[in-house]
Parts: sequence; C-alpha cells; structure tokens
Amino acid sequence: MNWSAPIYVYLWLAGMAGGAYIAAYLTYRFTGANRQLFRLATYMGIPLAVIGVILLVADLGRPLRFWHLLIEFRVTSPMSMGTWILMAWVLIAIVLAVVWWGERYFSNGLPTNLKRLTDLLSGLNVIFAVLLTTYTGVLLAVSNQSMWAGSVLLPSVFVASAISTGIALLILGAMITNASTEARLALNQFSFAKDWKISNHTIARLAEVDAGVIIVELLALFGYGVWLANSSLEGAGESLSVLLTGPLAAPFWIGVVLMALLIPLWLDFANWGKQIESKAVARAIGLSSLCVIGGGLILRAVITIGGQI
Amino acid sequence: MSKARLIDTSKCMACRGCQVACKQWNGLLAVTTEQGGTYENPRELSANTWIRVEFRERSGGWLFRPHTCMHCTDASCEKVCPAGAISHQGEVVTIDQARCIGCGYCVEACPFHIPHKDEVGGTSRKCTFCIDRITNGLEPACVKTCPSGALQFGERSDLVDQGNRKAQQLRAAGFPNANLYGEYELGGLHTLYVLTERPSVMGLPENPQLATHAAVTKWLAGIVTAGVIAVVPFWLLFRRKKELSEEKQSKVEGGVK
Repeated sequence: MNWSAPIYVYLWLAGMAGGAYIAAYLTYRFTGANRQLFRLATYMGIPLAVIGVILLVADLGRPLRFWHLLIEFRVTSPMSMGTWILMAWVLIAIVLAVVWWGERYFSNGLPTNLKRLTDLLSGLNVIFAVLLTTYTGVLLAVSNQSMWAGSVLLPSVFVASAISTGIALLILGAMITNASTEARLALNQFSFAKDWKISNHTIARLAEVDAGVIIVELLALFGYGVWLANSSLEGAGESLSVLLTGPLAAPFWIGVVLMALLIPLWLDFANWGKQIESKAVARAIGLSSLCVIGGGLILRAVITIGGQI
Repeated sequence: MSKARLIDTSKCMACRGCQVACKQWNGLLAVTTEQGGTYENPRELSANTWIRVEFRERSGGWLFRPHTCMHCTDASCEKVCPAGAISHQGEVVTIDQARCIGCGYCVEACPFHIPHKDEVGGTSRKCTFCIDRITNGLEPACVKTCPSGALQFGERSDLVDQGNRKAQQLRAAGFPNANLYGEYELGGLHTLYVLTERPSVMGLPENPQLATHAAVTKWLAGIVTAGVIAVVPFWLLFRRKKELSEEKQSKVEGGVK
C-alpha cells in the first residue's frame, strides 16, 4: 500500500493539534476566560504536529530530500500547501509559547505592544489551524482514488473530526493537569501562572460542545456517503460499499460510527448540564474523550486504507 | 506540432514485445512474478514495469490492451507533485529522479494508475516516452519493436485522424463500440487508443478527471465546516450563554436598584 500507517497517524495528529487550537481559541474568545486552556492547547499541539511531521518525513521514499518541499510553493498541490500551512502554524505556536515563557520577566505583565502582537498572532494562527485541519482532508480528496475524490465532503468530515478529537484532547489534558501537581509544576515552567487550573465548569461545557461537534460530524459523514453514492466518478459507489459492507465494515461501524460518534454522543448527552465534581460524571466524560480520540484514528485509518483498496 | 503514440488494440496480439523492449532500453530490473490465473505477466505495472499488456477474456475471444503512461496534457501527477519533480518536456510528462522525494502523491492522483514508487530507490517512476530516443529522432522502444504495427508513433494530429478512421472502419466491420480514446480526455492524451470496446470494458475510465478537479470546492467545504462548528456549538454554548447570563444578571441588578 502506497500510503499506510505513518500517513493516517499523521493526519490524525495534525488534525487533533489544529482542532484543539481552534476549540481552545474559540472557548477563550467567547467566554473571555480560559486563557490557560488556550495555552494548554498550544503546548499540546506543538509536539503532536512535530511527531506527525517526523512520521511523514520518515515515510518518504527519500527522507533526506524533505527540504525539496521547502523550496517549492505549489498552489495546485495540497501537499505543498499543507507543508507551508503546517510550518506557519507550528512556528507561530512556538513564538507564542516563547512569549508566554518570557512573561515571567515582566513584573507588570507583557508590554501593551507585545500583548497586541501575541493577540494578533493567536488570531492569525486560528486561520492556519482551520487550513491545517482542512488540508488533512483535501490531501486525500484531491486525488483519483474514488473513495477520497468522489465526495467534496471528505474535508468536512475530517475538519469536524479534527475539532472533535481536539476538544477531547483538551478535556483529557485539562483533567490530567487538574489532577496532577507534577503536571501543573511542569506547565509552570512553560507559562508562569500562580495556579494552573482549568475550571471543572469549562471541562463540562467542552464536553457539551463536543456533542454539538459530533452531530456536525455525523451529518458531514452522512452527506459524504450520499454524495459518494451519487458521484459521477467511476468506482465511487462501489468504494462506499468497502466501508459499509466490505472488508472495512467492522472498523467503520464499530470504530467510527459507534466509538467516535454514537458512544461519545450518548455519554455527553447523559451528562449534559452536570458538573464533573462527581467522579461518575468525570469518568464518563473522560471515557467519551478517549473514544473520540481513538475513533478519530480509526476514521483516518479506514478512509486512508479504504481509498487504496 | 506534438508527437503521440497510437495503440490500436484491434491489432495487438499480446506478444508482449513492447514490455521486453521497454525493459531493455530503459535498463529496468526483472521482477518476480506469480501466476494470477491469466496470461498477464507481470500482474501489475510497477517502478520497473512501465508498459504491460492487459488481457481480458470474454466469450468469443480476448481483448488486449498495452497499458502505459498517457502523457496527459492536463497531468494530475504534475499538478499534485509538491516537489516540482514532475513536469512537461514538450508533450512528455517526466519525473525528475533527482528531485522526486518519494511522497507517492502522483501514485494516488493519476487517473490511470501509472506512476509507482520504487521500493529500492524510493522515488516514483513511470514511462518516459523514451525521451532520450524521441529527442534524437527515434521512435519509443515499445513502438520500434511492435511486430504487428499495433503501436505507432508520429505527429499527434495525423494519428488522431488515422485513429478516427480506424474506429469508423471497425464500427462498420462489426465492432459497434469501437472508438478513439484520448483525443479530448484531460486536454488531449499523447497515448491514443483505438479501442474495439467501450473504455470501461477495456480497463480505462470513461471520463477521466483531473485530480485537482473541484479542489477549490473541497477546500471551501472544510473551511465552511469549521465556520459552522464555530457558530453552532461554540458560539451558542459559550458566547450566547454568557450573554444570557449577563443579561439576567443586569436585570437582577436593575431590579435591586
């Protein structure tokens, strides 16, 4: 198989990194609070994206020629665009992380100009994060494999899944941070704060938002299937049966439909409006997040493998 | 004036001389093959097999078709290559082996499944149209060796005329679905086929599409989805809730005053 595990693991990691950033930025902007959640998303996203890039480079037939990607800017090639988008996103995220790290040296907080600059870069990076999550789908959709190219909604499915897995990552990251003194101390090394704490209220609301995102993902997946079934591209209809009844039916129905979508949706709705001080609620939301993240990987795997069958 | 190759499937006798000549001229390695239940050998194109005669058995006889790079005018492989390794040299679509990074995108993008990644060298490889020969006034090796005249090389416009005439003759001679393939597909192919049957019966897409077809729509689909998610769950559950609670609070405060 031409594109195998390193590719779909990369698509999953890059999507999750971008998705977590989008989710945390929107939460930060819309609530006017949760600055630490936004920083946590940036700190978690950088290593995920870097690991993804290492996988991608290692999977090249000629890994030492990866720099050829950096001397070309080819608008018609999603891989070329993705290279630049990913690089821009990671570099801006690193600049933000460095500024936050340096905050400790300003006793009265960041100077106004620097603060404005970080605000501007944070906002700009949301655009790159949206393009990053979109590109993971477009990379496959711009091809001649019927399962990938036959429906324009594949990027929609990947974007929704990226944001859903990103939210799940934020929930788990926040839970671990809140539960572990070591994690809080480690985060304090990166970003000085009197007390690293992401409120339980925010975590519970994020689980509710994830339910909404999962509904969008379900609709996108349904639309993707309907579009594929009616596509004029030869083999598109048949490729749908690979997922629904063919060799990938088990991972699709169990891993994607149940694990990534229906189980988390049920768990999130069952705990809607509840606070996670209750251990049972916390466990349910944690389990829901694990399902979303695991299911997100299976989604990338079945689509990547299925397109090449 | 551009050159082209015309493959007349009504004349092909599946001797596979083209396969051997291609291997010899281009110094391509032999590959281990296995019996796949037909006379086809090897079972698929690869980084070391750039032309391969496909066999299709049906009642009343065989359909043979040498499968190789079409050298499309609108070449998907060239469009998606992120390293700029694939380009047109005149009518020939070539992969610069010194620039190819082995990402495999051309493998996924080609509507005819032509380029293949070389497991040893790591780069993508395919038919070069014997560019070293044709730029020196020679025919490609596959054409030169063809004993039945099924493969021809020449001016594309001449071969299109010839192909259309032949398809017409075949239709009159009891092959109602005979057609010339490649005259208009993907901006015009430089490997043209006289097919005795419909393209799909002969293993070719009826309507090959450029991989970048609808690319803008696909980008927009993802971006719009992110926008919908930002508005529906996020705005509704965070911003709207915050506004409602603020409104409620200000009303309560107003009431106290």
